[in-house]
Amino acid sequence: MIPMEFIAASSGSYPRIGDSIEQQRHRQAYAQLERGDITAKEFEQVQDDVTREVIEEQIRAGLDLVTDGQVRWYDPISHLASAVKGCKINGLLRFFDTNFYFRQPVIEGRLAWQRPILKKEFTFAKEVSKKPVKPVLTGPYTLAKLSIDRKRIGLQKIVMDFAEIIAQEVRELAGAGAEIIQLDEPAILKHPDDFRIFSKAVETVSAEKGNTRLALYTYFGDAAPLYEKMLELPVDVIGLDFTYSAKLPQVLERLGCDKDIGLGLIDGRNTKLEKPDEVLQKLQHILPALDCKRTYLNTSCGLGDYLPRESAFKKLQVVAAIVKKAKEMV
Amino acid sequence: MTRDKLKRLGIDLPLLPTTSVGSLPKPPYLLEARQKFSAGKIKTAELRLLEERATKEWISTQEELGIDILVDGEMYRGDMAAYFAENLEGFKSSGLVRSYGNRYYRKPIIVDEIRWKQPITVDWWRFAQKLTKKPIKGMITGPYTMMDWSFNEYYSSRREACLALAKALHEEVKALSRAGAKIIQVDEPAISARPEELEFAIEAMSTVTKGIDAYFICHICYGAFEFIYPEMLKLPADNFDLEMSNSELDLVELFRAHPFSKDLSFGVVDVHSHEVEDVETIEKRIRKALEVLKPGQLWIDPDCGLKTRSREESLGKLRNMVEATKRVRADLGQVS
Repeated sequence: MIPMEFIAASSGSYPRIGDSIEQQRHRQAYAQLERGDITAKEFEQVQDDVTREVIEEQIRAGLDLVTDGQVRWYDPISHLASAVKGCKINGLLRFFDTNFYFRQPVIEGRLAWQRPILKKEFTFAKEVSKKPVKPVLTGPYTLAKLSIDRKRIGLQKIVMDFAEIIAQEVRELAGAGAEIIQLDEPAILKHPDDFRIFSKAVETVSAEKGNTRLALYTYFGDAAPLYEKMLELPVDVIGLDFTYSAKLPQVLERLGCDKDIGLGLIDGRNTKLEKPDEVLQKLQHILPALDCKRTYLNTSCGLGDYLPRESAFKKLQVVAAIVKKAKEMV
Repeated sequence: MTRDKLKRLGIDLPLLPTTSVGSLPKPPYLLEARQKFSAGKIKTAELRLLEERATKEWISTQEELGIDILVDGEMYRGDMAAYFAENLEGFKSSGLVRSYGNRYYRKPIIVDEIRWKQPITVDWWRFAQKLTKKPIKGMITGPYTMMDWSFNEYYSSRREACLALAKALHEEVKALSRAGAKIIQVDEPAISARPEELEFAIEAMSTVTKGIDAYFICHICYGAFEFIYPEMLKLPADNFDLEMSNSELDLVELFRAHPFSKDLSFGVVDVHSHEVEDVETIEKRIRKALEVLKPGQLWIDPDCGLKTRSREESLGKLRNMVEATKRVRADLGQVS
């Protein structure tokens, strides 16, 4: 069955600065804040402006579903972990196999949710955007796996503690009107043996979603070996990165998909631009096997920390062009 | 073993030799000049004079601090990958990409076949070496890191791009060696990015170093070493220069489990912290290293290049590093 609806979607972050002078504002303001030349409130104003700008840019590129670009995030891990009780933020570590570095959390004791972390950011983005906004959360397994367990508390316990915290965030975001929430779990692809723990954590998070649709996104690894198990998870959308796996299309053709799906067929890590027709050919192979209502077309990962702004925009234009052609095809 | 190699190369070093990883902070006048240069307001020759002045200043500063193996401080380099990309054929530059926090860089894009045209770092190495009797390290960015830190719009795979870079960089190492460089550092901070690619990273490093009579240091930082250790010891280098302090010395435990078989330049100060570690803290770190390494294996340096720190912070860190090393050396002397 051919899916009925195609959605050109963002898969997370978007570059907060670009090469033009106007696009350098965030960087300059950040430096001014560090030097004490501007106040936190003034910096917040710049972050608001840049959020508005990147939302507008995603829409201009042709996306149907946008994010706030995660422009306020220091990195995908410490932005959340630094707001959690029991976490200290440590030195830099490479974020998976990328050229981007994040600050590693150290688990100092029992983790606890203290206050809404993303609600305010999401509410702002939702108010300024003409298109639906998708908040993005890093998932409990990835947060735990990238933390330092100095007290030897054990991975399972840390994952479940983070799961409670992220579940609370999901509840807050759902309450704030999020129609769909993206849960990023790249780390599970590198550690398939932890799938049982991972699955429990996803269940905990999913229990709080209410009517909101939960989209589990994995990337930076081969999802083919885990795909069948992912279909069992209580999530509404599964997002896949096709740049690491030659076998993934065949696995999809074989196993189908009764959930909605996010197809990361556009490489979010390389400037080389895909030709829409070539991607469309791949899509034609996969689509007949899928049994989903909605198909999200997106880049293989968020673009904010991997591509220059100009390339990011072009990539999103490619995504939108493919969606347009796919709609015509149906 | 490798101390013998150094001796054969004519380099006599004290126990626990001290060095820097590569980059040092650029003085304000140079930063200003670089900005003017980018804006087209000053010419190459004018910039060059200031780069030379800053290099001279750093060479004498390192001598005053009592550092044993010097670096030119990379006053003429911006980003470590972009610098080589700009000087090799086959690259163009991208827009700004985020590295961490508020730091951005221009990531090179491979758009054509990569080729070495002419010496890139040799003139600067010669310039710096003439200023001092102490050895100056030759310094290049390695092929795996160059590949991993570039967008690739030309080669069909990461492996193919990496091996093409290795061939080009071998020419640069050859030129450095011909000019007289005896200690050559190959920076490979990216090498732990994809453990499944370590095999061709090693192949690439062999291509770079093949047939060159020099003491090779391989600098690696901010990676997940647990996935490539001990396999990474197969990299054809005499000395591994590792970041140890930023990760609170976790690697020491790794070396306890599987002994480190090469020389090790042990990062004893965190280059991403403004705080200048005191002598006692650094001394403790050195002693911790000596729990898993023989004194003859151990070199002392900061975690990484100091270019992101202020001059005062850098001087403080280097000064305390030298002092801490002297204290440990004195003890070792008494023991032996």
